[in-house]
Amino acid sequence: MHFNLSEERKMLRDTIERFLSDKYSKIKNHYEYSTLREGYNVKIWNESSDIGMISGLIPPKYNGLGGSGEDIMIIFELIGKYLCVEPFLSTGLMSSTALISCRSDENQLLDDIISGKKIISFCHSEIDSRYDESLVKVKAHKNKNIWHLDGTKSFVLNGDQSNIFIVSARISGNQSDKNGLGIFKIHAKDCKIRPYNTIDGYRCSEISFDSVPGKLLCSDERAYKCILETIFAGTLAVSSEAIGIMQKCFDLTIDYLKTRTQFGKSIGSFQALQHRMVDLMIEIEQAKSCVMLAAGTYNSEKNIKYRNISAAKNLVGRVGKLVAEECIQLHGGIGMTWEYNLQNYAKRLVMIDHLMGDSDHHLEQFKKYSKY
Amino acid sequence: MDFNFTEQEINFRNEIREWLSINLPKNITQKVRKYQRLNKEDYEIFMKKLNENGWLAINWPAEYGGTGWNSVQKHIFEEEIVKANAPRVVPFGLNMLGPVLIEYGSEKQKQYYLPRILNCEDWWAQGYSEPGSGSDLASLKTIAIDNGDYYLVNGQKTWTTLGQYANKIFCLVKTNTNCKPQEGISFLLIDIKSPGVEVKPIITLDGEHEVNEVWLTNVKVPKENLLGEVNKGWTYAKYLLTHERTGIAGVPYSKKAIDHLKTIASEITKNGLPLIKDPLFSSQIAELEIDIKAMEIFNLRTVSAASEGKAPEMESSLLKIKGSIIRQKTSDLLRKAIGPMALPYISEQFDEGWNEEPIGPAYAGPIAKQYFINRKISIYGGSNEIQKNIVAKSAFKL
Repeated sequence: MHFNLSEERKMLRDTIERFLSDKYSKIKNHYEYSTLREGYNVKIWNESSDIGMISGLIPPKYNGLGGSGEDIMIIFELIGKYLCVEPFLSTGLMSSTALISCRSDENQLLDDIISGKKIISFCHSEIDSRYDESLVKVKAHKNKNIWHLDGTKSFVLNGDQSNIFIVSARISGNQSDKNGLGIFKIHAKDCKIRPYNTIDGYRCSEISFDSVPGKLLCSDERAYKCILETIFAGTLAVSSEAIGIMQKCFDLTIDYLKTRTQFGKSIGSFQALQHRMVDLMIEIEQAKSCVMLAAGTYNSEKNIKYRNISAAKNLVGRVGKLVAEECIQLHGGIGMTWEYNLQNYAKRLVMIDHLMGDSDHHLEQFKKYSKY
Repeated sequence: MDFNFTEQEINFRNEIREWLSINLPKNITQKVRKYQRLNKEDYEIFMKKLNENGWLAINWPAEYGGTGWNSVQKHIFEEEIVKANAPRVVPFGLNMLGPVLIEYGSEKQKQYYLPRILNCEDWWAQGYSEPGSGSDLASLKTIAIDNGDYYLVNGQKTWTTLGQYANKIFCLVKTNTNCKPQEGISFLLIDIKSPGVEVKPIITLDGEHEVNEVWLTNVKVPKENLLGEVNKGWTYAKYLLTHERTGIAGVPYSKKAIDHLKTIASEITKNGLPLIKDPLFSSQIAELEIDIKAMEIFNLRTVSAASEGKAPEMESSLLKIKGSIIRQKTSDLLRKAIGPMALPYISEQFDEGWNEEPIGPAYAGPIAKQYFINRKISIYGGSNEIQKNIVAKSAFKL
C-alpha cells in the first residue's frame, strides 16, 4: 500500500503543469477567454496533443499512453487548477470512453482524438432527463436500411465545435427502459446547433436532429453499459477537476487573509477566520482522499468502481459547495467581483455539482452499489 | 498509488487476528462487546498476554523491548485489536511516558521504569490538566519547590483517566514562576502511594467512573524522579502530545460503529420496512459511510507517509478533528436509529454477569450512554479548537 505517483506519472504531471502554467499565465480573466467563439483556444488544444495530455486519457491498447484512473485524476486535477477549458472532458475522455466501450470499429476516430484533429462530443442528456442514465427520448428508426435520429440533446459540451457527435437514442421500449437504447455516430454538419455560454465559462449546445442519418455503434445492453462507463469516466474527471479547483480557492483565500488588513492587522490573525480555514483544509483532504480511492479502484469490478466514484462525487459536491461559499465569504466584497479570479473558480466548483449527477444523485448511486 | 496491502502486511494481519482469537479471554471480549465495566485485571490480563508475545510496546524501538514496527504495522495491529473486541491497551505508560523516557530519560530511569511498564508492575496515570488549566495547559499551578534532595509538590491534577488503578503518575509542575509560563515547567515522576497524594473519583455524565482528580499536598518527590532537565518539561510534554499520533482519528472504531449501525438499521423497522430502506435515514448513514471511507484513506495516506519517514505534523491535528466529529456522528445516528429504545438506563446491565431481560433488544442498552460519553472525543487530548489553532499557526503562518 502506498499513495505515491510512479516516476512516469510524476513526469506526466510536471510536463502538463509546466505547459498549462505557461499557456494560462497570460490569461487575465477566464470567463472572457473561454467565451471566445471557439469556446477554447485551438492552438492550446493542438499543442496539448503534442505533449501527451490527450493520449494520457486513453489506454495503450487504443494507441494512448494512459487511461488509468490515476492518469485521469492527475490530468483533471491540473485542468481544475488552471481552469483549462479545452475539450479534454467532452472529446479527450468521454467520447474516447464511449467509442471504446461501444466496441465499435471506429479506431480512426480514436486516433483523430489523440492527435487533436477532431472534436467529438458525447450527447446523452436531454432537457428533462436530469441525471438519469437511461431516460432517452431522442428516437432512432430505420429507413431503407439507414438509421435516422429525431429529437434534441441538451447541455452538449463543446457542441458547436464538434465534427462528430456520439449520441444515445431510443430504438424501442419506454422512455426510461435500460433496454432498447442505441449509440450512434452522427455528423455535426447534419444537425441543428444552438450554442450558448454556461455560467461557469464553458460552451454548450442544444443539438437537434430532424431525421438525421447516423451509424449504429452498439445497442441494448452494450449501449446502456456504454452510457454508464462514459458518465462514470466523466464523473471521476470532474471530481478530480474539483480537487484542483478547491486547492486553488484555498490558496487564493490564504493569500488574501495574509494581505488584507482591518482593525490594524491582517484579517488572517483572527481566530474565527483561522478556524474556518482549518475546516476547509480538512474537508479538502477528505474529498481528495475519496477521489484517490475512486481513481485507484477505477479498474476494479463495476460495483466497486461505480460505488467509489459515486462516493467521491457525493463528497466533492458537498465539499465543493462549502469551499466555494466560504472562500467568497472570507474574501468579502472582492470575492463578489467579476474582475477577481476567485469567481471563476467558485462558479466552476459549484457547477460541477450540476454535471454527471449531483451529490444527492450520487448518494443514491452509492446506496445502490453498496446494496443498502 | 496502490490501495492493496502487501502480501507481507496481509500475513501480518492474519497472524495478529489468529493470535487474538486464541489468546483473548472470551469473558473479556464479551464485556467489551456489551459495553460492560472492565476492571483492572481485565486490562492487565490482556496487556500481560501481549507482553509475553512481545507485542505490547508498539511505539518503542526493539532495543527497549518494543516491537519496532513501522506505522503501517501499528495501524494494522490497532485495527485488529478493535475488531476483536479487546480492551484498549492503556496508553499512559506505553504510548505516552515510554517514548518520552526513551528520548529524554536518564539511563538509570530507562532501566528502572521501562521494564516495569512492560510487565505491568507499574500503572501510570497522566498528570497534565488542572482545574484552572485545560486548553491553556502552560498556565498550570501545581508547584514543586526544590528542598535540596527532594521536591515538595503542592497542587491539583484532574481528568486523570483510570487513575483509580494507577500506582504512578507523571506530572507537569511549576519549578520557576518568574519567567514565561512554558519555561518554568518540569516533568516529575511521582509515586501515588507517597504520603499526601489523594485520588478522588469524578463521575461523568454517563454515570461511570473513569476519570479522577488527584490532590497533591506536601508530597515529597525525590530529585532522581525528575525527568530530563529542570524547567524543560514543556518540551517533553509537547513531544508526548505529538509523538506518533497516526492512530488518533480512531478510524477502526468508526468502521466498527457504522457496521453496527447498518446491522441495527436492517433489524429495526419503520413503517413496516427496515430502517435502512428509509430514504431519509439511509441517506444519513450513506453520507457518514462516505466520510468514513474518505477518512480511512486520509489516515492511510498519513500512515503510509510516516512509514516512508515523513513524520506527521499538522496531519495529526486534522485527523483528530475530523476523526472525532465522525465518531460522534456515528454515535449520534445509532442513538437516532433506536428511537424511544434509547430511553431506558439500567446501570446494572453494565456489570459482568447481569442476566435479566433487557428492555427491548440488548444492543439498545448502551447506545444513549455511549452517545453522551463520546462527546469527550472532541474535548480531550487538545480540544478541536486548540487543534485548529495549532494548524493555523504552523501550516498557514497566519
